[in-house]
Amino acid sequence: MAQIPNLDNAPVNLTSIREQSQKELINILKNVRGKKCLVIDPKLGDSLSLTIQTSILKEQGVELRHLSAEPIQSDCNKVIFLVRSQLNLMRFICSNVHDDISKGLQREYHVYFVPRRTVACEKVLEDEKLHHMITIGEYPLYMVAMDEDVLSFELDLSYKECQVDGDASSLWHIAKAIHKLEFSFGVIPHVRAKGKASVRIADILNRMEAEEPINSSDMAVPEINTVILLDREVDMVTPLCSQLTYEGLIDEFLHINNGSVEIDASVLGLQQEGKKTKVPLNSSDKLFKEIRDLNFEVVVQILRQKATSMKQDYTDMTTTTQSVSELKDFVKKLNSLPEMTRHINLAQHLSTFTSKPSFLGQLDMEHTIIESQSYDICFEYIEELIHKQEPLTTVLRLLVLFSITNAGLPKKHFDYFRRELLHSYGFEHIATLNNLEKAGLFKKQESKSNWLTIKRTLQLVVEDTDTANPNDIAYVFSGYAPLSIRLIQHAIRSGWRPVEEVLKLLPGPHLETRRGGFSNSPSFDTFYGVSNSIDKVPDGRRSLVLVVFVGGVTFAEISALRFLSAQAFSVVSSWQLLTEQNLKGPKKTWHMI
Amino acid sequence: MANVSVAAEWQLLYNRYYRKPELYPMRWKHVDLARNKIAAAPFGGPLAVIRDDSKIVQLHGESALRKLRLFSSSGHLLADTVWRNPGGRLIGMSWTDDHTLVCVVQDGTVYRYDVHARLIEPNLSLGKECFESNVADCAFWGNGVVCITESNQLFCIADFKNPNAVKLADPGIVEPPRCMAVIEPQYTVSGNVEVLLGVGDGGEEEDAAVIAVEEDGVQRLGGEMLRGPLQKMVVSRDGKWLASFTHDGRLLVTTSDLTGVIIERECESALPPEQLAWCGMDAVLLYWDDMLLMMGPDGEPVTYLYDEPIILIPECDGVRILSNASMEFLQRVPDSTVSIFTIGSTSPAALLYDALDHFDRRSAKADENLRLIRSSLPEAVEACVDAAGHEFDVSRQRTLLRAASYGQAFCSNFHRDRIQEMCKILRVLNAVRSFEIGIPLSIQQYKLLTPSVLIDRLINAHQHLLALRISEYLGMNQEVVIMHWACAKITASLAIPDATLLEILLDKLKVCKGISYAAVAAHADKNGRRKLAALLVEHEPRSSKQVPLLLSIGEEDTALMKATECGDTDLVYLVLFHIWQKRQPLEFFGTIQARQLARDLFITYARCYKHEFLKDFFLSTGQLQDVAFLLWKESWELEKNPMASKGSPLHGPRIKLIEKAQNLFAETKEHTFESKAAEEHAKLLRLQHELEVTTKQAIFVDSSISDTIRTCIVLGNHRAALKVKTEFKVSEKRWYWLKVFALATIKDWAALEKFSKEKKPPIGYRPFVEACIEADEKGEAIKYIPKLADPREKAESYARIGMAKEAADAAAQSKDGELLGRLKLTFAQNAAASSIFDTLRDRLSFQGAS
Repeated sequence: MAQIPNLDNAPVNLTSIREQSQKELINILKNVRGKKCLVIDPKLGDSLSLTIQTSILKEQGVELRHLSAEPIQSDCNKVIFLVRSQLNLMRFICSNVHDDISKGLQREYHVYFVPRRTVACEKVLEDEKLHHMITIGEYPLYMVAMDEDVLSFELDLSYKECQVDGDASSLWHIAKAIHKLEFSFGVIPHVRAKGKASVRIADILNRMEAEEPINSSDMAVPEINTVILLDREVDMVTPLCSQLTYEGLIDEFLHINNGSVEIDASVLGLQQEGKKTKVPLNSSDKLFKEIRDLNFEVVVQILRQKATSMKQDYTDMTTTTQSVSELKDFVKKLNSLPEMTRHINLAQHLSTFTSKPSFLGQLDMEHTIIESQSYDICFEYIEELIHKQEPLTTVLRLLVLFSITNAGLPKKHFDYFRRELLHSYGFEHIATLNNLEKAGLFKKQESKSNWLTIKRTLQLVVEDTDTANPNDIAYVFSGYAPLSIRLIQHAIRSGWRPVEEVLKLLPGPHLETRRGGFSNSPSFDTFYGVSNSIDKVPDGRRSLVLVVFVGGVTFAEISALRFLSAQAFSVVSSWQLLTEQNLKGPKKTWHMI
Repeated sequence: MANVSVAAEWQLLYNRYYRKPELYPMRWKHVDLARNKIAAAPFGGPLAVIRDDSKIVQLHGESALRKLRLFSSSGHLLADTVWRNPGGRLIGMSWTDDHTLVCVVQDGTVYRYDVHARLIEPNLSLGKECFESNVADCAFWGNGVVCITESNQLFCIADFKNPNAVKLADPGIVEPPRCMAVIEPQYTVSGNVEVLLGVGDGGEEEDAAVIAVEEDGVQRLGGEMLRGPLQKMVVSRDGKWLASFTHDGRLLVTTSDLTGVIIERECESALPPEQLAWCGMDAVLLYWDDMLLMMGPDGEPVTYLYDEPIILIPECDGVRILSNASMEFLQRVPDSTVSIFTIGSTSPAALLYDALDHFDRRSAKADENLRLIRSSLPEAVEACVDAAGHEFDVSRQRTLLRAASYGQAFCSNFHRDRIQEMCKILRVLNAVRSFEIGIPLSIQQYKLLTPSVLIDRLINAHQHLLALRISEYLGMNQEVVIMHWACAKITASLAIPDATLLEILLDKLKVCKGISYAAVAAHADKNGRRKLAALLVEHEPRSSKQVPLLLSIGEEDTALMKATECGDTDLVYLVLFHIWQKRQPLEFFGTIQARQLARDLFITYARCYKHEFLKDFFLSTGQLQDVAFLLWKESWELEKNPMASKGSPLHGPRIKLIEKAQNLFAETKEHTFESKAAEEHAKLLRLQHELEVTTKQAIFVDSSISDTIRTCIVLGNHRAALKVKTEFKVSEKRWYWLKVFALATIKDWAALEKFSKEKKPPIGYRPFVEACIEADEKGEAIKYIPKLADPREKAESYARIGMAKEAADAAAQSKDGELLGRLKLTFAQNAAASSIFDTLRDRLSFQGAS
């Protein structure tokens, strides 16, 4: 399992939250005495790997298995299923129990739902007539700390559920998670939300506060000053662009999964052929912390400089006489050598992808689409990709980007692309297309696109970006400033008021409220853009902003947020589904519908 | 003076004083204890009175029907009811810890009444054996009962809250026991109740014993030590000691396992006492007709004479003595009280008390007294506070507290809250001791009982106002009281219209923040006031409580609305399943169709587990395209089915499904595209099936149209490829890409060249170049690069196959500085090539400037 991230430098005490989760899990395991088989659904296993060491689980007499349709092999007669409360997982539990029954095995079953039991899941067990054999419990894991400044709600399907299925369960989940945070860190006084889902979350959050009030008198000053909620739907452009930060690129090509990346050992210069190895990627790695948010171009330079300077030091060492303290410094530097080799190897590996003409062409096209000037060139480029049967994900990414910036495609082109896609990749993709249409990602043009206005007003395209010494967030996409982060930048600096006109052009309502323990009434006064300097908190601490992306976030966006926070304030950003991989993730599942 | 009279009422037993203040003169009239069976609850609880049917009594102009009457400890009638219960003689009657009156009759039926004399249904039974052989006697403790049948078998209900009758082990006796006592489960080793039976004939010493019966075993205890059978037994409160009266007139106090005798005293009578009771832990009371004898561990017993019958009610710190006319409390005088009031006492506390008296009379002796006890003033104050707590007399409480506060003024290090605390406790005690309430708790009993239980008892007796005041005064949560009040109010107010009652209720409920309106509403519903329930539940802020209740009162639509509003999808599902089960499918469909979230959640669930039902739903709401998508999806599942191996007749049903989908799509104008696609899909499957038959290779089915074309070309079957092309109207553009790549795959460069010359390719020569470069065939690529129209493409292509000079030339032709720079980077390793680009770029920028 991956290394658990170090949270000591977190802006709020995330360690206590993680310890709470650990304790709760251990209690669950302790409640079932003796040897037991813990069956986890694989996605949840990933979340747990960031929460608790496997060794601790083993100490509790646990045999670890992954939940699948295959019957579990274990001698334990006590089985604990630890699953997210998702309908499709119930089928696996049922088939497992039925399999035992048919084999005449008598076992004790416990099902623990994460984060809570739900009527729908229990109904499935009931309908299968297994309800009476199973002890049901809850494991309230609402969020996982991915890194010292990143929390995840672990809702990797929420975008699809919300946008395609209309299943708003994840909104309640997010509100609950924020409410839980408030129990630890105080009621967050300022709320800014943009997008249908975000405004709804703010609403549910207020309901929760009314139903289960947080005793604010216990806490002097709330630790988090503002929460900014942003729907992914508001900015679908950014996640479709290729991320160009170091961490972003690793994710684009190698896929970061829960804070680590799995690669061939040979990439790292290890001698084990064909073996996979996991590299943890979080702030505990000092060098990675330094370079993760930088544009890849710069990373290559920095690594080269470091290598050269080390080589220089080495030559100095062998040729001239050194004092003891200088020797000590040198040895200290040597300690960072493994990290350096690792990242040099990784960067080397990445550059084999980035230097491909197809990748460069794709980047070019992304910028052309964002510029939104040459419709025909884009159209032909995508058409050609389809004809060449390039990977479907690559094609859809560009196509969706194209459709969004144009507010859909003219019916003729829309039908043409759909037909070409079905012909080239198979008719089963009709479901994918249908889902994309439902989510408004790839659709028929019905109104004029206002992308140009948005782009211009918010200055999304920045000429002459100096990637080495950036002065704007646009460096993360080498010239395109992510819309989402631009909005957040405004929200933090001056609230929604000054950008209200643009906000109206983006989907969903927006909201700005002040809540809190000062007035005791559960009602909250809504005010729009009353000048508020949230950067200044009375006692002089830097104010803390919690940014919640409802529907996922990319590494590049997180990098941009870190860039902003270095300028003015601290940020804890929360995310749930990330990057191209997850965008593809949902799409993969769309096939199955 | 006053002091003298206090101590004068005390009696000395061995070295301890006892007192017997009157708590109340009984308010009842015409109650003769001799004619009645009485059950009195400890902790100053209520009294149950019913005419004793085992005695022959004269009726004084009263009904022959017996009446069960419930009184408070002050003799105030709480409730009464006519006893009409069948089942034979009433054998035993007792109050449980939560003030339920349990009455055991001969046939083993147990009737239960609450403090309002309402029968609690259902009646319990001690079992068939009891029914058959009659209950002879029974013994109660806190929440349980043990009874013995006429055939000497024992049965037990260990907890009335969970009433299961259990048969205990067979004691193996023929004669009924002379006496019976129980040791409560909490004091036994096994944790189950232990019954002690005194057996043996009068004469035969060796027969005499105590038999201890448990659920799974019988033990014979005592034996020789007893020297004869016991007539009467009683176990002490803590279950450790057993007081018994022997056949030869001795009082015997032993350990409860009868291994050691603690006290053995001769009594003057061999006749067993009518009642035997522990008074606290250090004296035993024996009551014979008109005489009450108190025996201590040593010294002369104290005798009290009564000319009327009495009932002994043991408490934790004494015994209450109930007679026809009064209720008294016999207790050991507390040490603090002794130190103050003993005649001639010179203890600091007594001097302090005296000092107050002098102070009140403005005598200088007050100061003198204080000086005398200066060093021990805190103890003196403490003693006064403590003594005040033990007083029942309010004026004496006051005097003692005044003495305490007088003393406190002169000592700095006394814990000041003590007096305040004691005042608080006494206020509460005095309030519940009043005649109207009639709960004569001593301070020790109060502490043992705890304030929250006291409040429970008050609300149980419908003393809501007092309970509310007390809980407010003690800073306790008032929710319990208000909740109980609201429920009781609803039950009692059948005549009040809903709106009025709602107002009355809301007025009080709002006192308590966070009170569960849902619980009150549930009660209203239980009382048949559904409308009121609906009005009340509207005020519940917690959706998780509100929604289930709305469901239970049949307000499904409101429930659905509330659940949707609160955003908790789990609640929406709860309502959804409820309605689903309750209503006809069509009605159900109609309900959810109107509510988007509910509908979407239903669809999500049904997609996973109720496929067919989902189709019905879509059909009923006219969403034909969704049915079509479902069918289409089914067709892929058939594909995954291993039985549907390639080329098998299973293609029939697949194609049929797809065609069905096609027709459904065709029903609506908006889905022409999907309909067309489905049609093509079906056609493709047929065609692929044919291809598999003709080529005898199962590699076609379920590949895309483009893949099929490629496969055909790779197999060299150009005619088939062409057929697919025309059949599906594949554009020339796509056709070229596909054919070029397919030919490159099989490295048929000759065919490729021939293809390039067929006619001018509609998309130029780029596909040819790309295919060759990708296959790493530079020689082939060179054939097509010169034919590229765009010089930039040309330059890049040359660059890709490493021909720097040609690339540079082409780039120069395109006059694109940026391109040159990029190409230079590509050739960075090659110094010669690099310099070529530099020269070119310089020239170019020069050109640009001119």
